[in-house]
Amino acid sequence: MKKIVFSLMVLSFITLFTVSAPLNALAEETNATGAAPAATEAAAPTITIDKTTLNNGGTIKVSGKAPAGMPIYLEVWAADHTVKSNLFDSKKDKETGKIPYIFYITEEMPAYYKIFVPKELQPKIDAAKKEGNKWSYSALLKDLGADVAYNVPAVAKIDRYQATLMASVIGSRGTLLDPMDAKENKKRSMQLVKSRFRSVGNVVSADVNLSADGSYTADIKIRDGLSPGNYKIVAVSGKDLKSEPAVFENKIGFPTFYLSNAGTSMNLIYPFLLTLVVAIFGVLMGAGGGFIMNPLLITLFPALPHTIVAGTVTPTVLFSQGSGIFNYSKINFISWKLGAGIGCAMLLGGFIGPKLTEMITLDQFKFAFGWILIVLAALMFWQTTPGYIANNKKEQSILNQFKKRAQESAKAKS
Amino acid sequence: MKVDFWGQEFQVNMWVGCIGGFLIAIMSSMFGFGGGPFMVPLMTVALRLPMYIVVGSSLLAIFFNTTVSTMRHYQFGNFDLVFFLAMFPAALLGGYIGPQIAKRVSPLVVKRVACAGLLLLALNLLGVY
Repeated sequence: MKKIVFSLMVLSFITLFTVSAPLNALAEETNATGAAPAATEAAAPTITIDKTTLNNGGTIKVSGKAPAGMPIYLEVWAADHTVKSNLFDSKKDKETGKIPYIFYITEEMPAYYKIFVPKELQPKIDAAKKEGNKWSYSALLKDLGADVAYNVPAVAKIDRYQATLMASVIGSRGTLLDPMDAKENKKRSMQLVKSRFRSVGNVVSADVNLSADGSYTADIKIRDGLSPGNYKIVAVSGKDLKSEPAVFENKIGFPTFYLSNAGTSMNLIYPFLLTLVVAIFGVLMGAGGGFIMNPLLITLFPALPHTIVAGTVTPTVLFSQGSGIFNYSKINFISWKLGAGIGCAMLLGGFIGPKLTEMITLDQFKFAFGWILIVLAALMFWQTTPGYIANNKKEQSILNQFKKRAQESAKAKS
Repeated sequence: MKVDFWGQEFQVNMWVGCIGGFLIAIMSSMFGFGGGPFMVPLMTVALRLPMYIVVGSSLLAIFFNTTVSTMRHYQFGNFDLVFFLAMFPAALLGGYIGPQIAKRVSPLVVKRVACAGLLLLALNLLGVY
Protein backbone atom coordinates (compact mmCIF):
# COMPACT_ATOMS: atom_id res chain seq x y z
CA MET A 1 0.00 0.00 0.00
CA LYS A 2 2.74 2.37 1.01
CA LYS A 3 4.60 1.64 -2.18
CA ILE A 4 1.64 2.57 -4.32
CA VAL A 5 1.16 5.86 -2.51
CA PHE A 6 4.83 6.62 -2.93
CA SER A 7 4.91 5.88 -6.64
CA LEU A 8 1.77 7.95 -7.09
CA MET A 9 3.48 10.85 -5.39
CA VAL A 10 6.53 10.48 -7.58
CA LEU A 11 4.35 10.32 -10.64
CA SER A 12 2.42 13.42 -9.72
CA PHE A 13 5.69 15.26 -9.12
CA ILE A 14 6.99 14.30 -12.51
CA THR A 15 3.83 15.43 -14.24
CA LEU A 16 3.88 18.68 -12.29
CA PHE A 17 7.42 19.36 -13.42
CA THR A 18 6.92 18.47 -17.04
CA VAL A 19 3.82 20.65 -17.20
CA SER A 20 5.21 23.61 -15.29
CA ALA A 21 8.60 23.75 -17.03
CA PRO A 22 7.23 24.90 -20.39
CA LEU A 23 4.90 27.27 -18.54
CA ASN A 24 7.87 28.85 -16.79
CA ALA A 25 9.75 29.15 -20.02
CA LEU A 26 6.72 30.79 -21.55
CA ALA A 27 6.50 33.26 -18.69
CA GLU A 28 10.16 34.14 -19.09
CA GLU A 29 9.72 34.69 -22.79
CA THR A 30 6.85 37.08 -22.29
CA ASN A 31 8.91 38.91 -19.68
CA ALA A 32 11.79 39.18 -22.09
CA THR A 33 9.63 40.58 -24.85
CA GLY A 34 8.05 42.94 -22.35
CA ALA A 35 11.43 44.36 -21.37
CA ALA A 36 12.67 44.62 -24.94
CA PRO A 37 11.22 48.06 -25.80
CA ALA A 38 13.00 49.61 -22.79
CA ALA A 39 16.28 48.08 -23.89
CA THR A 40 16.04 49.63 -27.34
CA GLU A 41 15.63 53.09 -25.81
CA ALA A 42 18.98 52.91 -24.04
CA ALA A 43 21.29 49.92 -23.88
CA ALA A 44 22.47 48.90 -20.44
CA PRO A 45 26.00 50.11 -19.65
CA THR A 46 28.89 47.71 -20.13
CA ILE A 47 31.82 47.17 -17.79
CA THR A 48 35.29 45.62 -18.05
CA ILE A 49 38.04 45.56 -15.44
CA ASP A 50 41.76 45.17 -16.04
CA LYS A 51 42.50 42.67 -13.27
CA THR A 52 40.62 40.26 -11.11
CA THR A 53 42.81 40.07 -8.02
CA LEU A 54 44.15 42.65 -5.60
CA ASN A 55 46.60 42.25 -2.76
CA ASN A 56 45.21 44.03 0.29
CA GLY A 57 43.88 46.91 -1.75
CA GLY A 58 45.16 48.54 -4.90
CA THR A 59 43.92 50.23 -8.02
CA ILE A 60 41.60 48.72 -10.60
CA LYS A 61 41.04 50.23 -14.02
CA VAL A 62 37.42 50.10 -15.01
CA SER A 63 36.19 50.97 -18.48
CA GLY A 64 33.03 50.55 -20.46
CA LYS A 65 30.28 52.31 -22.25
CA ALA A 66 27.23 54.02 -20.91
CA PRO A 67 24.28 55.16 -23.01
CA ALA A 68 25.32 58.47 -24.59
CA GLY A 69 24.20 61.48 -22.62
CA MET A 70 23.42 59.47 -19.50
CA PRO A 71 25.38 59.66 -16.26
CA ILE A 72 27.38 56.70 -14.96
CA TYR A 73 27.84 55.50 -11.40
CA LEU A 74 29.91 52.57 -10.24
CA GLU A 75 28.53 50.72 -7.23
CA VAL A 76 31.27 48.66 -5.57
CA TRP A 77 30.75 46.33 -2.62
CA ALA A 78 32.25 43.39 -0.77
CA ALA A 79 30.14 40.43 -1.78
CA ASP A 80 31.55 37.86 0.66
CA HIS A 81 31.52 39.63 4.01
CA THR A 82 28.88 41.56 5.84
CA VAL A 83 29.18 43.49 9.07
CA LYS A 84 26.90 44.80 11.75
CA SER A 85 25.76 48.38 11.73
CA ASN A 86 23.50 50.03 14.25
CA LEU A 87 22.01 53.37 14.95
CA PHE A 88 20.05 54.86 17.80
CA ASP A 89 17.55 57.43 16.59
CA SER A 90 17.10 59.93 19.40
CA LYS A 91 16.70 63.01 17.20
CA LYS A 92 13.52 64.97 17.52
CA ASP A 93 11.13 64.35 14.65
CA LYS A 94 10.58 67.68 12.85
CA GLU A 95 6.91 66.99 12.09
CA THR A 96 5.62 65.49 15.30
CA GLY A 97 8.13 67.04 17.70
CA LYS A 98 8.55 63.68 19.43
CA ILE A 99 11.78 61.82 20.00
CA PRO A 100 11.40 58.35 18.45
CA TYR A 101 14.01 56.44 20.54
CA ILE A 102 14.22 53.66 17.97
CA PHE A 103 17.23 51.40 17.71
CA TYR A 104 18.04 50.20 14.18
CA ILE A 105 20.39 47.30 13.58
CA THR A 106 21.39 45.26 10.56
CA GLU A 107 23.79 42.38 10.19
CA GLU A 108 23.81 42.58 6.40
CA MET A 109 25.83 45.71 5.73
CA PRO A 110 28.54 44.91 3.12
CA ALA A 111 31.99 45.10 4.72
CA TYR A 112 32.89 47.54 1.96
CA TYR A 113 30.52 49.82 0.11
CA LYS A 114 31.29 52.75 -2.10
CA ILE A 115 29.80 54.55 -5.08
CA PHE A 116 32.14 56.11 -7.63
CA VAL A 117 30.69 59.07 -9.51
CA PRO A 118 31.84 61.19 -12.50
CA LYS A 119 34.68 63.61 -11.82
CA GLU A 120 32.57 66.69 -12.51
CA LEU A 121 30.69 66.03 -9.28
CA GLN A 122 33.76 66.58 -7.08
CA PRO A 123 32.57 70.04 -5.85
CA LYS A 124 29.38 68.50 -4.45
CA ILE A 125 31.40 65.93 -2.52
CA ASP A 126 33.68 68.66 -1.20
CA ALA A 127 30.64 70.57 -0.01
CA ALA A 128 29.44 67.51 1.94
CA LYS A 129 32.90 67.05 3.44
CA LYS A 130 32.76 70.63 4.74
CA GLU A 131 29.69 69.81 6.79
CA GLY A 132 31.87 67.74 9.13
CA ASN A 133 30.07 65.07 11.11
CA LYS A 134 26.64 66.37 10.23
CA TRP A 135 26.71 65.35 6.57
CA SER A 136 23.73 63.38 5.33
CA TYR A 137 24.30 60.39 3.08
CA SER A 138 20.81 60.42 1.59
CA ALA A 139 21.02 64.14 0.75
CA LEU A 140 24.45 63.66 -0.81
CA LEU A 141 23.27 60.74 -2.96
CA LYS A 142 20.30 62.76 -4.17
CA ASP A 143 22.54 65.72 -4.86
CA LEU A 144 24.90 63.57 -6.90
CA GLY A 145 22.01 61.83 -8.66
CA ALA A 146 23.61 58.62 -7.43
CA ASP A 147 20.58 57.28 -5.58
CA VAL A 148 19.84 55.13 -8.66
CA ALA A 149 23.10 53.30 -7.98
CA TYR A 150 22.25 52.73 -4.32
CA ASN A 151 20.96 49.17 -4.44
CA VAL A 152 22.83 46.65 -2.31
CA PRO A 153 22.40 48.02 1.24
CA ALA A 154 18.87 49.18 0.38
CA VAL A 155 17.60 45.61 0.67
CA ALA A 156 19.58 44.68 3.81
CA LYS A 157 17.35 43.27 6.50
CA ILE A 158 17.04 45.86 9.24
CA ASP A 159 15.60 45.13 12.66
CA ARG A 160 14.24 47.99 14.69
CA TYR A 161 13.51 48.10 18.36
CA GLN A 162 11.44 50.55 20.34
CA ALA A 163 13.78 51.46 23.19
CA THR A 164 12.32 52.59 26.47
CA LEU A 165 13.95 53.76 29.65
CA MET A 166 12.75 50.64 31.44
CA ALA A 167 14.13 48.36 28.73
CA SER A 168 17.47 50.16 28.91
CA VAL A 169 17.58 49.74 32.68
CA ILE A 170 17.18 45.99 32.41
CA GLY A 171 19.67 45.99 29.56
CA SER A 172 17.42 45.01 26.69
CA ARG A 173 17.22 46.51 23.23
CA GLY A 174 13.47 46.98 23.60
CA THR A 175 10.52 45.55 21.72
CA LEU A 176 11.09 44.37 18.17
CA LEU A 177 8.89 46.38 15.79
CA ASP A 178 7.35 45.19 12.53
CA PRO A 179 9.65 45.16 9.50
CA MET A 180 9.69 48.35 7.45
CA ASP A 181 8.44 48.69 3.88
CA ALA A 182 11.02 48.85 1.09
CA LYS A 183 11.11 52.64 0.92
CA GLU A 184 11.56 53.14 4.66
CA ASN A 185 14.09 50.32 4.73
CA LYS A 186 16.13 52.09 2.04
CA LYS A 187 16.01 55.38 3.92
CA ARG A 188 17.17 53.83 7.20
CA SER A 189 19.81 51.74 5.43
CA MET A 190 21.40 54.98 4.22
CA GLN A 191 21.69 56.17 7.81
CA LEU A 192 23.23 52.83 8.72
CA VAL A 193 25.74 53.18 5.88
CA LYS A 194 26.81 56.49 7.35
CA SER A 195 26.91 55.06 10.86
CA ARG A 196 29.13 52.25 9.65
CA PHE A 197 31.50 54.03 7.24
CA ARG A 198 31.30 57.46 8.90
CA SER A 199 33.23 59.70 6.53
CA VAL A 200 32.20 61.02 3.10
CA GLY A 201 35.43 59.81 1.53
CA ASN A 202 34.69 56.23 2.57
CA VAL A 203 31.41 55.97 0.70
CA VAL A 204 31.66 58.22 -2.37
CA SER A 205 34.46 59.31 -4.62
CA ALA A 206 34.58 61.19 -7.94
CA ASP A 207 36.93 59.14 -10.11
CA VAL A 208 35.01 58.38 -13.32
CA ASN A 209 36.02 60.06 -16.59
CA LEU A 210 32.92 60.18 -18.75
CA SER A 211 33.15 61.24 -22.42
CA ALA A 212 30.30 62.71 -24.43
CA ASP A 213 29.78 59.49 -26.39
CA GLY A 214 29.18 57.59 -23.20
CA SER A 215 32.46 55.70 -22.94
CA TYR A 216 33.99 55.94 -19.51
CA THR A 217 37.17 54.97 -17.65
CA ALA A 218 37.93 55.06 -13.95
CA ASP A 219 40.85 54.21 -11.69
CA ILE A 220 39.19 52.74 -8.66
CA LYS A 221 41.29 52.78 -5.54
CA ILE A 222 40.50 50.05 -3.07
CA ARG A 223 42.08 51.01 0.25
CA ASP A 224 44.05 48.55 2.36
CA GLY A 225 42.64 47.00 5.51
CA LEU A 226 39.44 45.78 3.88
CA SER A 227 37.73 42.42 3.94
CA PRO A 228 39.12 39.65 1.74
CA GLY A 229 37.11 37.74 -0.83
CA ASN A 230 35.08 38.71 -3.85
CA TYR A 231 34.02 42.24 -4.62
CA LYS A 232 31.48 43.26 -7.22
CA ILE A 233 31.25 46.34 -9.42
CA VAL A 234 28.08 47.31 -11.22
CA ALA A 235 27.86 50.25 -13.61
CA VAL A 236 24.55 52.07 -13.28
CA SER A 237 23.18 54.75 -15.58
CA GLY A 238 19.63 54.94 -14.40
CA LYS A 239 16.82 52.94 -12.93
CA ASP A 240 16.91 49.46 -14.56
CA LEU A 241 19.96 50.48 -16.61
CA LYS A 242 22.58 48.31 -14.96
CA SER A 243 25.51 46.31 -16.21
CA GLU A 244 26.25 42.76 -15.16
CA PRO A 245 28.48 42.77 -12.07
CA ALA A 246 32.23 42.57 -12.67
CA VAL A 247 33.95 40.51 -9.99
CA PHE A 248 37.41 40.87 -8.50
CA GLU A 249 39.06 39.29 -5.50
CA ASN A 250 40.89 41.03 -2.68
CA LYS A 251 43.58 38.84 -1.12
CA ILE A 252 45.23 39.31 2.24
CA GLY A 253 48.02 37.28 3.81
CA PHE A 254 50.03 36.90 7.00
CA PRO A 255 50.43 38.91 9.22
CA THR A 256 47.28 40.65 8.07
CA PHE A 257 44.09 38.98 9.24
CA TYR A 258 40.46 39.69 8.68
CA LEU A 259 38.54 40.59 11.83
CA SER A 260 35.11 39.32 10.93
CA ASN A 261 33.16 41.18 13.60
CA ALA A 262 35.03 44.42 13.08
CA GLY A 263 34.79 44.11 9.30
CA THR A 264 38.37 45.20 8.65
CA SER A 265 41.62 43.40 8.10
CA MET A 266 44.61 44.39 10.08
CA ASN A 267 48.27 43.66 10.52
CA LEU A 268 48.00 41.98 13.91
CA ILE A 269 51.61 42.62 14.90
CA TYR A 270 50.76 46.23 15.78
CA PRO A 271 48.01 45.49 18.31
CA PHE A 272 50.22 42.76 19.79
CA LEU A 273 53.11 45.17 20.41
CA LEU A 274 50.75 47.89 21.62
CA THR A 275 49.12 45.54 24.11
CA LEU A 276 52.49 44.39 25.37
CA VAL A 277 53.68 47.94 26.06
CA VAL A 278 50.38 48.99 27.59
CA ALA A 279 50.17 45.87 29.77
CA ILE A 280 53.66 46.50 31.19
CA PHE A 281 52.88 50.13 31.80
CA GLY A 282 49.56 49.16 33.36
CA VAL A 283 51.34 46.99 35.90
CA LEU A 284 53.74 49.82 36.73
CA MET A 285 51.08 52.45 37.28
CA GLY A 286 48.79 50.07 39.12
CA ALA A 287 45.83 50.46 36.78
CA GLY A 288 44.47 47.96 34.33
CA GLY A 289 45.61 48.47 30.76
CA GLY A 290 42.04 48.98 29.56
CA PHE A 291 42.13 52.68 30.31
CA ILE A 292 44.99 53.28 27.91
CA MET A 293 44.26 50.45 25.52
CA ASN A 294 40.78 51.56 24.44
CA PRO A 295 41.54 55.18 23.58
CA LEU A 296 44.82 54.24 21.91
CA LEU A 297 43.18 51.61 19.71
CA ILE A 298 40.45 54.03 18.73
CA THR A 299 42.92 56.77 17.89
CA LEU A 300 45.46 54.60 16.09
CA PHE A 301 43.07 52.31 14.21
CA PRO A 302 40.11 54.44 13.18
CA ALA A 303 38.70 51.58 11.09
CA LEU A 304 37.85 49.61 14.23
CA PRO A 305 34.34 50.26 15.58
CA HIS A 306 34.32 51.35 19.22
CA THR A 307 31.93 48.56 20.16
CA ILE A 308 34.44 45.96 19.00
CA VAL A 309 37.28 47.70 20.82
CA ALA A 310 35.38 47.83 24.12
CA GLY A 311 34.03 44.31 23.69
CA THR A 312 37.41 42.75 22.96
CA VAL A 313 39.57 44.62 25.47
CA THR A 314 37.23 43.66 28.33
CA PRO A 315 37.93 39.89 28.19
CA THR A 316 41.63 40.64 27.82
CA VAL A 317 41.80 42.14 31.31
CA LEU A 318 39.67 39.33 32.73
CA PHE A 319 42.59 36.95 33.00
CA SER A 320 44.92 39.25 34.90
CA GLN A 321 42.11 39.96 37.36
CA GLY A 322 41.46 36.27 37.76
CA SER A 323 45.09 35.45 38.44
CA GLY A 324 45.28 38.35 40.93
CA ILE A 325 42.29 37.01 42.82
CA PHE A 326 43.78 33.53 42.79
CA ASN A 327 47.05 34.78 44.27
CA TYR A 328 45.30 36.75 47.02
CA SER A 329 42.93 33.90 47.81
CA LYS A 330 45.84 31.49 48.29
CA ILE A 331 46.93 33.53 51.29
CA ASN A 332 43.33 34.23 52.28
CA PHE A 333 43.78 37.95 51.70
CA ILE A 334 40.35 38.70 50.27
CA SER A 335 37.27 39.66 52.20
CA TRP A 336 34.77 37.55 50.27
CA LYS A 337 31.87 39.18 52.02
CA LEU A 338 32.92 42.71 51.08
CA GLY A 339 34.08 41.84 47.56
CA ALA A 340 31.04 39.81 46.65
CA GLY A 341 28.68 42.33 48.26
CA ILE A 342 29.88 45.21 46.14
CA GLY A 343 30.43 42.73 43.31
CA CYS A 344 26.69 42.03 43.13
CA ALA A 345 25.99 45.70 42.52
CA MET A 346 28.73 45.78 39.89
CA LEU A 347 27.23 42.72 38.26
CA LEU A 348 24.10 44.71 37.50
CA GLY A 349 26.16 47.59 36.14
CA GLY A 350 28.14 45.23 33.94
CA PHE A 351 24.88 43.89 32.57
CA ILE A 352 23.66 47.31 31.47
CA GLY A 353 26.88 48.93 30.26
CA PRO A 354 27.58 46.92 27.09
CA LYS A 355 24.14 47.73 25.74
CA LEU A 356 24.82 51.42 26.14
CA THR A 357 28.05 51.02 24.15
CA GLU A 358 26.16 50.16 20.99
CA MET A 359 23.63 52.94 21.49
CA ILE A 360 26.17 55.73 21.42
CA THR A 361 28.09 57.02 18.43
CA LEU A 362 31.85 57.07 18.16
CA ASP A 363 31.92 60.80 18.87
CA GLN A 364 29.93 60.39 22.08
CA PHE A 365 32.21 57.52 23.03
CA LYS A 366 35.30 59.68 22.52
CA PHE A 367 33.79 62.61 24.37
CA ALA A 368 32.83 60.58 27.44
CA PHE A 369 36.09 58.67 27.46
CA GLY A 370 38.00 61.95 27.25
CA TRP A 371 36.38 63.15 30.46
CA ILE A 372 36.87 59.80 32.19
CA LEU A 373 40.57 60.03 31.41
CA ILE A 374 40.75 63.55 32.79
CA VAL A 375 39.22 62.31 36.05
CA LEU A 376 41.68 59.42 36.06
CA ALA A 377 44.60 61.79 35.42
CA ALA A 378 43.41 63.88 38.36
CA LEU A 379 43.33 60.74 40.53
CA MET A 380 46.84 59.89 39.41
CA PHE A 381 47.99 63.41 40.18
CA TRP A 382 46.42 63.19 43.62
CA GLN A 383 48.45 60.06 44.23
CA THR A 384 51.65 62.00 43.61
CA THR A 385 50.87 64.76 46.13
CA PRO A 386 53.06 64.69 49.30
CA GLY A 387 50.11 64.20 51.65
CA TYR A 388 48.96 61.14 49.78
CA ILE A 389 52.46 59.70 49.58
CA ALA A 390 53.03 60.04 53.34
CA ASN A 391 49.70 58.42 54.04
CA ASN A 392 50.30 55.77 51.43
CA LYS A 393 53.65 54.86 53.00
CA LYS A 394 51.92 54.12 56.27
CA GLU A 395 49.20 52.18 54.51
CA GLN A 396 51.69 50.20 52.46
CA SER A 397 53.71 49.21 55.54
CA ILE A 398 50.54 48.03 57.27
CA LEU A 399 49.58 46.23 54.08
CA ASN A 400 52.94 44.48 53.92
CA GLN A 401 52.72 43.56 57.59
CA PHE A 402 49.33 41.94 57.16
CA LYS A 403 50.40 40.27 53.95
CA LYS A 404 53.36 38.74 55.72
CA ARG A 405 51.14 37.39 58.45
CA ALA A 406 48.78 35.98 55.82
CA GLN A 407 51.59 34.35 53.90
CA GLU A 408 53.04 32.81 57.04
CA SER A 409 49.74 31.38 58.16
CA ALA A 410 49.10 30.03 54.67
CA LYS A 411 52.48 28.35 54.82
CA ALA A 412 51.84 26.99 58.28
CA LYS A 413 48.58 25.46 57.10
CA SER A 414 50.18 23.66 54.21
CA MET B 1 27.50 45.76 57.30
CA LYS B 2 30.25 44.37 59.51
CA VAL B 3 33.29 42.85 57.89
CA ASP B 4 35.92 40.78 59.68
CA PHE B 5 39.39 40.79 58.24
CA TRP B 6 42.45 39.35 59.92
CA GLY B 7 41.23 40.01 63.41
CA GLN B 8 40.01 43.54 62.67
CA GLU B 9 36.36 44.47 62.41
CA PHE B 10 35.14 47.15 60.01
CA GLN B 11 31.83 48.89 59.65
CA VAL B 12 31.08 49.27 55.93
CA ASN B 13 28.34 51.45 54.51
CA MET B 14 27.09 49.11 51.82
CA TRP B 15 24.72 51.70 50.34
CA VAL B 16 27.61 53.91 49.34
CA GLY B 17 29.66 50.92 48.25
CA CYS B 18 26.93 49.37 46.12
CA ILE B 19 25.71 52.56 44.46
CA GLY B 20 29.26 53.68 43.74
CA GLY B 21 30.18 50.21 42.50
CA PHE B 22 27.09 50.09 40.32
CA LEU B 23 27.92 53.40 38.63
CA ILE B 24 31.56 52.49 38.16
CA ALA B 25 30.48 49.14 36.71
CA ILE B 26 28.19 50.77 34.13
CA MET B 27 30.94 53.12 33.09
CA SER B 28 33.71 50.56 32.96
CA SER B 29 31.70 47.92 31.11
CA MET B 30 30.42 50.52 28.67
CA PHE B 31 33.90 51.71 27.79
CA GLY B 32 35.71 48.41 28.18
CA PHE B 33 38.17 48.87 31.05
CA GLY B 34 38.60 47.22 34.41
CA GLY B 35 37.75 50.01 36.81
CA GLY B 36 40.36 49.36 39.49
CA PRO B 37 41.66 52.94 39.69
CA PHE B 38 38.12 54.11 40.48
CA MET B 39 37.18 51.28 42.83
CA VAL B 40 40.24 51.67 45.06
CA PRO B 41 39.59 55.36 45.86
CA LEU B 42 35.90 54.59 46.37
CA MET B 43 36.73 51.98 48.96
CA THR B 44 39.56 53.80 50.66
CA VAL B 45 38.17 57.33 50.64
CA ALA B 46 34.37 56.95 50.60
CA LEU B 47 34.21 53.76 52.68
CA ARG B 48 37.30 54.62 54.79
CA LEU B 49 38.74 51.15 54.55
CA PRO B 50 42.47 50.54 54.94
CA MET B 51 44.47 49.60 51.90
CA TYR B 52 45.18 46.03 52.99
CA ILE B 53 41.55 44.99 52.87
CA VAL B 54 40.88 46.93 49.67
CA VAL B 55 43.54 45.41 47.37
CA GLY B 56 42.04 41.94 47.19
CA SER B 57 38.40 42.73 47.72
CA SER B 58 38.20 45.45 45.07
CA LEU B 59 39.71 43.02 42.60
CA LEU B 60 37.01 40.49 43.43
CA ALA B 61 34.26 43.09 43.01
CA ILE B 62 35.63 44.16 39.63
CA PHE B 63 35.92 40.58 38.52
CA PHE B 64 32.15 40.19 38.87
CA ASN B 65 31.65 43.17 36.60
CA THR B 66 34.19 42.15 33.98
CA THR B 67 32.82 38.61 33.72
CA VAL B 68 29.26 39.75 33.12
CA SER B 69 30.22 42.53 30.75
CA THR B 70 32.38 40.11 28.74
CA MET B 71 29.36 37.86 28.34
CA ARG B 72 27.13 40.75 27.36
CA HIS B 73 29.60 42.12 24.84
CA TYR B 74 29.84 38.64 23.38
CA GLN B 75 26.06 38.42 23.21
CA PHE B 76 25.87 41.70 21.28
CA GLY B 77 28.53 40.55 18.82
CA ASN B 78 31.11 43.07 20.02
CA PHE B 79 33.75 40.44 20.64
CA ASP B 80 36.20 39.70 17.82
CA LEU B 81 38.04 36.42 18.35
CA VAL B 82 40.97 37.04 16.00
CA PHE B 83 41.61 40.46 17.48
CA PHE B 84 41.40 38.98 20.98
CA LEU B 85 43.93 36.28 20.10
CA ALA B 86 46.37 38.98 18.99
CA MET B 87 46.05 40.97 22.21
CA PHE B 88 45.64 38.26 24.81
CA PRO B 89 49.15 36.70 24.65
CA ALA B 90 50.63 40.21 24.71
CA ALA B 91 48.65 41.02 27.83
CA LEU B 92 49.89 37.84 29.51
CA LEU B 93 53.46 38.57 28.54
CA GLY B 94 53.12 42.14 29.78
CA GLY B 95 51.73 40.90 33.07
CA TYR B 96 54.82 38.72 33.41
CA ILE B 97 57.41 41.34 32.45
CA GLY B 98 55.76 44.23 34.28
CA PRO B 99 56.40 43.18 37.90
CA GLN B 100 60.06 42.56 37.11
CA ILE B 101 60.54 46.09 35.83
CA ALA B 102 58.42 47.48 38.64
CA LYS B 103 61.16 46.82 41.20
CA ARG B 104 63.56 49.07 39.32
CA VAL B 105 61.44 52.15 38.64
CA SER B 106 60.07 54.66 41.08
CA PRO B 107 56.26 54.51 41.28
CA LEU B 108 56.18 58.26 41.63
CA VAL B 109 57.84 58.80 38.25
CA VAL B 110 55.53 56.26 36.63
CA LYS B 111 52.48 57.99 38.05
CA ARG B 112 53.65 61.39 36.81
CA VAL B 113 54.28 60.02 33.34
CA ALA B 114 50.89 58.30 33.40
CA CYS B 115 49.24 61.51 34.52
CA ALA B 116 50.72 63.47 31.61
CA GLY B 117 50.02 60.68 29.14
CA LEU B 118 46.41 60.34 30.21
CA LEU B 119 45.87 64.08 29.89
CA LEU B 120 47.31 64.07 26.37
CA LEU B 121 45.13 61.12 25.40
CA ALA B 122 42.07 62.78 26.92
CA LEU B 123 42.63 66.03 25.04
CA ASN B 124 43.08 64.06 21.84
CA LEU B 125 39.78 62.24 22.38
CA LEU B 126 38.03 65.51 23.12
CA GLY B 127 39.33 66.83 19.83
CA VAL B 128 41.35 69.66 21.35
CA TYR B 129 44.28 68.91 19.06
